[in-house]
Amino acid sequence: MGYNRPMPIRILAPLEAARIAAGEVVERPASVVKELLENALDAGARHIGVESQGGGSALILVADDGGGIAPDEVELAFARHATSKIASLSDLESATTLGFRGEALPSIAAVAEVELLTRTPGQEAGAFVRVHYGQVVERGRRACPPGTRVTVGRLFARLPARRKFLKTPGTENSHISQVVSRYSLAFPDVKFSLSLEGRRAFESPGSGSLREAALKVYGYETAQALLEVKAEAAEGQPLKIWGLVSPPSRARPRREAHFFVNRRWVQSRLLARAVEEAYLGLLVSGQYPLSILHLELPPAEVDVNIHPAKREVRFLQEQAVFAAAQRAVRAVLMQMSPLPQVRPLPRLEQAPTLALPLEPARPGSLAASPPPARRLPILRVLGQLASAYIIAEGPDGMYLIDQHAAHERVRYEDIKAQRRDGKPEVQGLLAPVTMELTPSEAALLGEHETTLAEHGFELEPFGPGSHLLRALPALLAGQDPAQALRAVLADLAEGKGKDIGETLAVSLACHGAVAAGQALTLEEMRELVRRLEEAEEPRHCPHGRPTMVHLSAAQLEREFGRR
Amino acid sequence: MKLSCLQENLSRGLGIVGRAVATRTTLPITNNVLLATDGGRLKLSATNLEIAITCWIGAKVEEEGTTTVPARLLTDLVSSLPNERMDLSQPLRSHTIHLACGRNEAKITGQAAADFPPIPTIGEGVAIPVGGDALHTAIDQVAFAAATDESRPVLTGVQASFEGSTVTLAAADGFRLSVHKLALDQPVAEKVAVIIPARSLQELNRLLDGQEEPVQVTVNAARSQALFKLKNAEMVSQLVQGTFPNYGQLIPQSSQSRAVVNRAEFLRATKAAAIFARDGSGIIRLQVTPAGELGPGKLAVSARAEELGENLGELDAAVTGEAGKIAFNAKYLTEVLSVLDSEQVALETTSPTSPGVIRPVGVDNFVHVVMPMFVQW
Ligand SMILES: Nc1ncnc2c1ncn2[C@@H]1O[C@H](COP(=O)(O)OP(=O)(O)OP(=O)(O)O)[C@@H](O)[C@H]1O
Ligand SMILES: [Mg+2]
Repeated sequence: MGYNRPMPIRILAPLEAARIAAGEVVERPASVVKELLENALDAGARHIGVESQGGGSALILVADDGGGIAPDEVELAFARHATSKIASLSDLESATTLGFRGEALPSIAAVAEVELLTRTPGQEAGAFVRVHYGQVVERGRRACPPGTRVTVGRLFARLPARRKFLKTPGTENSHISQVVSRYSLAFPDVKFSLSLEGRRAFESPGSGSLREAALKVYGYETAQALLEVKAEAAEGQPLKIWGLVSPPSRARPRREAHFFVNRRWVQSRLLARAVEEAYLGLLVSGQYPLSILHLELPPAEVDVNIHPAKREVRFLQEQAVFAAAQRAVRAVLMQMSPLPQVRPLPRLEQAPTLALPLEPARPGSLAASPPPARRLPILRVLGQLASAYIIAEGPDGMYLIDQHAAHERVRYEDIKAQRRDGKPEVQGLLAPVTMELTPSEAALLGEHETTLAEHGFELEPFGPGSHLLRALPALLAGQDPAQALRAVLADLAEGKGKDIGETLAVSLACHGAVAAGQALTLEEMRELVRRLEEAEEPRHCPHGRPTMVHLSAAQLEREFGRR
Repeated sequence: MKLSCLQENLSRGLGIVGRAVATRTTLPITNNVLLATDGGRLKLSATNLEIAITCWIGAKVEEEGTTTVPARLLTDLVSSLPNERMDLSQPLRSHTIHLACGRNEAKITGQAAADFPPIPTIGEGVAIPVGGDALHTAIDQVAFAAATDESRPVLTGVQASFEGSTVTLAAADGFRLSVHKLALDQPVAEKVAVIIPARSLQELNRLLDGQEEPVQVTVNAARSQALFKLKNAEMVSQLVQGTFPNYGQLIPQSSQSRAVVNRAEFLRATKAAAIFARDGSGIIRLQVTPAGELGPGKLAVSARAEELGENLGELDAAVTGEAGKIAFNAKYLTEVLSVLDSEQVALETTSPTSPGVIRPVGVDNFVHVVMPMFVQW
């Protein structure tokens, strides 16, 4: 059998090839910013300004005060595989620059209108070149300050297929601010400033102190509590680890780990696992530390050329790096808290619970079927299992109810009802809480302001990067207001593209619902089951997971061989 | 170790220290209770690393010694024995204890006392005596307002600040604030303010039950631990590190409307309305009407529920100032009314969106500030 062979093999025209390669380098506006920042940093810039308009699709501008490009090399910079950073592949083993492929500028210029204006300290006037979709359209000399300014306009304008994948300007901007804040943590000695849609969004101090850089990204409260990691690996091993990690008491509801290998931001499961292991036993489940870790090691010890966007690296000695990172973090944690924190369950009284491990229903045996009818019959609560499930009896057998899923369902329907009536139930705060938001959190907040307000979050801007939280949805009363809003924002970020009202309702229903592991009193279980009986859709939580399994009387009889 | 004591005493002692035995722990030995002879008495200690409780019971000691045994096991065993004389002994260089009581005999395997985390002692510092009963009431009226959410550790604690001849206890969880002032018999030499975990104080309250004698409170020099010395027991609690919010400014200095009502009636009406308010977030609406041609002043307490209908309770009130209305979370209102013991309470409000204040009438040692819910009227 043959296959369809539509065309003979041929070599793509250079521009075509560049556009395809660009797909790997330039995924979205934020990746343009990343490449341009790296170039500026490679050029030794001390101050880098970034601007974005229209979520980066209309305009991205990156200006630096680095070494610049000699006038006769300006056009060469846009040629594929043209780089000043390595001369041969073997140089890669000693390269300390972020760039080495000579692909970024040609790839960007293949999919946008780019202008590069640059001056080296030796030159009196600057040189500029404009490249539109791979074609040089203008070149010349112009006065400018020393350094380089790259302007990228109308990104993907000629590639409707790529444009389609872009999200709202707000979302794209929040990716851009993530990139900028990341680099400010990678290079605390460089001053970064970012303006989004003409408004100043972020500025790093460039003082050289990582903590001061982190302060701008995470706010004062978080930054001042971070613990300092510092380890020069032992036995002549040339690995240095330094950075900041959160104390266990300041854990967050989402993973937040930044790893920099020789200043390069990378995603690394290896390092993520090392950090998580360091916190083993110190965190409640569902909580994650914040970590900002720098690893410095000889370039020959890392392979940086394994990912098209240079987002991943491979360590030659993975095991050694893992162990060193784990130990470095563990050491600071142990120093600060010699006593493991015991956290008994808050609020609820201990009810006697059965500590049975719950076995999943084996196929063929107790195949618990999802209950048939929509509404629930009246149920009688018998007890609690494994601090997670309520055992109840109905007219037709036994019900095992997942307490968290059930509570989510009940809260979700409350929220929906309040929204239908246009009457959110709002709980005021005794004193407004100052929220210091990360740039991406702030962008999300800006985007969803009205929906958040409709659900009862009362927020008002309070200086750059800060908001005052004055009230929150009554269903969240009793929780830490700042933490609750953060968790909701994190859900909104994840639920991108979905119906925002719905995402928010699900999020509010989930945060603050009783968790698995909380012992409930009989009274509390009865109340929860009563509310579930009244629910319109009692059998599934708003995420779509079942709230209960039902074992019918007939099934039980069969299992016990009575029939 | 060789000693004898009364089953009743040992059982009571184990009940007292049992509250500090760790339940979920990464350090298994903290599931044990430490037994040690101590100057003609038997000393029992337990710790979950946040608090440690020690108590002493009368014993006839024949041979000194110390060991640790599983707390639950020992407690269950002792409580099932008859109230008679018990003989406890531990063969030399073993961690097993032998227990004999009436016609029962048992052996329990333990672990070396040397492996037990050290029970902190506070030798330094001046002990401040605080009346047992009064402290019990103050803790009741304040600790419930502390946060249960751990994300802001200082709010899970109660600030105790000793100054001059008073100690002020305060707790706040971001939605409400409780402050209780307590007189000291002797003025303190220097001002001390510490944050004690609310959970520790609730445990202290169990120990305080029925104790009228003053409790001696000592804070260590590092301000990291506090010792509460009772008659036959003591508790050491870790303190929360951090700065407690400056709450003075959160207490409204004036109000538009003040209604004085009978506390028990107010609580009853709130609980009745709460039944209707228990769906959703439990909104209780309060409306204050001054006395006029139509009759005396009133406080109306109401709640609605979609399907159940609504509930309205009315109380006579001595109203000064204007009419007022405000909505509260049923739980917050019930909790504060339940911990007060005065006959009358005053509800002070200014607007439906500014904080409400609840004070006992006749005593000037307590104030509770609670943030309303913003509702449509
Ligand atoms: N801001 C800048 N300042 C000085 N020189 C620059 C700047 N931007 C680019 N260049 C020069 O242009 C060359 C090409 O840049 P480009 O980003 O395309 O490739 P690269 O950085 O060498 O490698 P990579 O594709 O891995 O980023 C660089 O090697 C550098 O010499
Ligand atoms: Mg580059």
